[in-house]
Amino acid sequence: MAGTIIENLSGRKLTILVTFLLLCQIVCFLIGGLVAPVPANAQIILGTVCKDTSIMKNDTTKWFYNRGAGICEKVDLHRIHHDVSERDIVFAFQMPVPRESETYDYSRWQQNLIGVLQVDIRYHSQMEVAPRSALSIDARLAYRNKGDPDNAWKLYTQSVEKRVLDCDIDIKSENYLYNCSAVPLFELGSLYHDYYLLNLRLPVDTPDMNAHIGHIQDMWVTVINQNGGFTKVWLSLKTVFFPCIIAILVWFWRRIHILERKPVLLEKMLLSLGIALCFLNAPIEYLTLHFDLPFMLLLGDIRQGVFYAMLFSFWLVFAGEHMLIQDTSAQSSLKQYWRHLSAVAMGCISLFIFDMCERGVQLRNPFYSIWVTDLGTNLALTFIILAGISTGVYFLFLCYMIWKVFLNISQKRQSLPTMSSVRRLRYEGIIYRFMFMMLATLLCAALTVIGFILGQVAEGQWKWDDNIELEYTSAFFTGVYGMWNIYIFSLLVLYAPSHKRWPANENTSDTQNLNLSEEHEFSPLPTERSEISSLTSFIRKATVD
Amino acid sequence: MDDINKILSPHKQVECASPMPQSLHVRHSRNLAAPNRPIQSSNTSLEIFTTLHKESCHRLEYLVERQKQLCMLSDKMVQVIQMGAQQAIEECQHQFRNSRWNCSTVDNSTDIFGGVLKFKSRESAFVHALSAAALAHTVARSCSRGELNECSCDARVRKRTPRHWQWGGCSEDIRYGEKYSRDFVDAKEDKETDEGLMNLHNNEAGRRAVRGRMQRVCKCHGMSGSCSVRVCWRRLPQLRLVGDVLSTRYEGASHVKVVERKKGKNIRKLRPLHPDIKKPNKTDLVYLEDSPDYCEPNDELGILGTKGRTCNRTSAGLDGCRLLCCGRGYQTRVRDHEEKCRCRFVWCCRVHCEICRSKRDHHVCN
Repeated sequence: MAGTIIENLSGRKLTILVTFLLLCQIVCFLIGGLVAPVPANAQIILGTVCKDTSIMKNDTTKWFYNRGAGICEKVDLHRIHHDVSERDIVFAFQMPVPRESETYDYSRWQQNLIGVLQVDIRYHSQMEVAPRSALSIDARLAYRNKGDPDNAWKLYTQSVEKRVLDCDIDIKSENYLYNCSAVPLFELGSLYHDYYLLNLRLPVDTPDMNAHIGHIQDMWVTVINQNGGFTKVWLSLKTVFFPCIIAILVWFWRRIHILERKPVLLEKMLLSLGIALCFLNAPIEYLTLHFDLPFMLLLGDIRQGVFYAMLFSFWLVFAGEHMLIQDTSAQSSLKQYWRHLSAVAMGCISLFIFDMCERGVQLRNPFYSIWVTDLGTNLALTFIILAGISTGVYFLFLCYMIWKVFLNISQKRQSLPTMSSVRRLRYEGIIYRFMFMMLATLLCAALTVIGFILGQVAEGQWKWDDNIELEYTSAFFTGVYGMWNIYIFSLLVLYAPSHKRWPANENTSDTQNLNLSEEHEFSPLPTERSEISSLTSFIRKATVD
Repeated sequence: MDDINKILSPHKQVECASPMPQSLHVRHSRNLAAPNRPIQSSNTSLEIFTTLHKESCHRLEYLVERQKQLCMLSDKMVQVIQMGAQQAIEECQHQFRNSRWNCSTVDNSTDIFGGVLKFKSRESAFVHALSAAALAHTVARSCSRGELNECSCDARVRKRTPRHWQWGGCSEDIRYGEKYSRDFVDAKEDKETDEGLMNLHNNEAGRRAVRGRMQRVCKCHGMSGSCSVRVCWRRLPQLRLVGDVLSTRYEGASHVKVVERKKGKNIRKLRPLHPDIKKPNKTDLVYLEDSPDYCEPNDELGILGTKGRTCNRTSAGLDGCRLLCCGRGYQTRVRDHEEKCRCRFVWCCRVHCEICRSKRDHHVCN
């Protein structure tokens, strides 16, 4: 009777394997903590106020910037100008800003660019800003590459957008600033060009447009990009993991093919999980170094989504397959789990729709945000709440199933003393190893959650002089990423069918001690079933009585 | 002493000061004068400007050598320093608008506040802290605007890995602002003198006030925009808020003395004058001497006195007529008061106001 590798692995080998995996895990964590920089970098840019003297304002070949040849004429908004009209004011943000007397440029390793807008509005008792007033922005984004002349800005995208300003003020006194919340401005899925230039105008095409936003004194745009170093470390990890998972998958599939029987559901699920991990691990980010691929943010979300969906489904099926309640004769199939899996599907689909509405549309218009209109907000919230509910339902299902499995196992444990000693030892070992896997899953999940919370707490206590050498956020990301990879590697390896044969029952000295009822119990089991996980067969046998 | 403020005086020759905000309600702003037009550096005049700038840094004779070096870092630096000084004065005049000494500045002198800062007084402590804070603030703002090329990019944590911007990003602009302010403002202070020790402490307190009022903002950008990945940054506070903080600190400033400890090395420390008062920490302002009398004019010290100041009859505070006029009494005049009212602000640049006229009592100190 052959089982999976985990059942046939000796304790010593298992210890060695676990130690090795733990070492890999620690290495992953340390690579993130010691080599990688923080995952993302935020650069805060203060807008330069430029004067647009041209008559035609919708000329997209005319750009305003504050560095290099052909810089714009600056205006100071502190005082009121009578010769300038609102149409002449352009806020220019040239990114990246220079440092260390060098002109910096974006590298494609920096992957993406996210812009957040913050507006400084001065308080005037004569014109208070309503709490939720709308700001209309005419935003234009241009790019330039190294070697281009200073004024060779080319239009990247252009849009007129609305944003809701959420402002309040503590001290209502002249010249104090409102506290306005940051509003998302744009998201670029690819950072293909070297320099970017953002020109913002506040149009007043209709009398009501931008009429209630008060006296804008400054505009700040925070541009967030992934750090090049982090991308490099992350991609290296992927480059290492990808061949590993491919190799393990091939090995796993060959193992199953050697068997005379068809693969069972659990093995199919394992295989799909492995494929989902392949999809996640594939280092396709290398392509962004040569091609402009704005869909990478969306694709990244989809890849993660597919992986999580598979992982969640796998856990369900894993718990279900050890449930002991199925009809022994029926080959279990996914159909049995449709109720449970529909929760996963529901959550994933709502998140996917939400993502398509947000990041999908951003492919066309990087300035788009679903959150600015009331309808969009409601829609987005609906999908997110749906996803949340599905997650909740899923976990209820999962907990219920695991609880049942444990209940059944403890029941069967009680009947263990009545069995022969060899069989008892064997079953005890199987249960122990099953528990071991459950424990590993729980440990991984708990570590992820704890790590996440730790990160939030550590960030909450903002320290100025932190001389900590370990970059916690990056360590968390690489650690968690490595952990789930290792988790699935070991699942694939340990749950692959084993070649080892159990010593025949007849050879053992106490076979004769088996009582008749036990003989009877085992006899009706079909022979081909002997190749399934012996744990499952054991449990099924138990259900018969 | 108040060297960053001294810079203001020659700025008319350099012709590169920033425009002055329109809202200076303070009377004694003569010295700030000359609201110059915003500088436009075109390519052709760049060379001339650079030499002019080099000269201008050398012309500021009261700068010590280190400060001249720092001034010459870039052609924009003079402007930035001047802007910082100007904002410090403006803020000081705002914070002290109701006090007997209203941060008045003096014409035709390299000491912009006259001799008031020769005392190691509370006011001096405040002005030093504010100057250091304003310089750090202005430099950081210029860095954010991308005007200053010199702004540093020291990635905080990483030392052994390459410190490229593309690898790990840059530190916050305020770090460079503080560094520059520490370099520039502190360069002139001598640690060996009592005054230097006090000023160094107050300068640092000023810079910490900027840091303390910074506001943290976060943005989530993880999977589907969730908070699994989050990046946070800190916003520069408005200088007015820094002024408010320092003003509170000014009121609670500690009177200290210099204590010398001869344990091996000669360590000089500031300790409270009265042993039962708690030790001032790094954010507190400290002073060594009581303030001079600001009631009567004193040409030598550049104190204008409170004669002719408008006071508030109903206030019991410092701006009340009793305190502000130092007991000399006041005159009440009825004046035609013109005020802009019912304003409607049209973005960006127009304010439609009506002018409201009223007769008001005006109390002026004798």
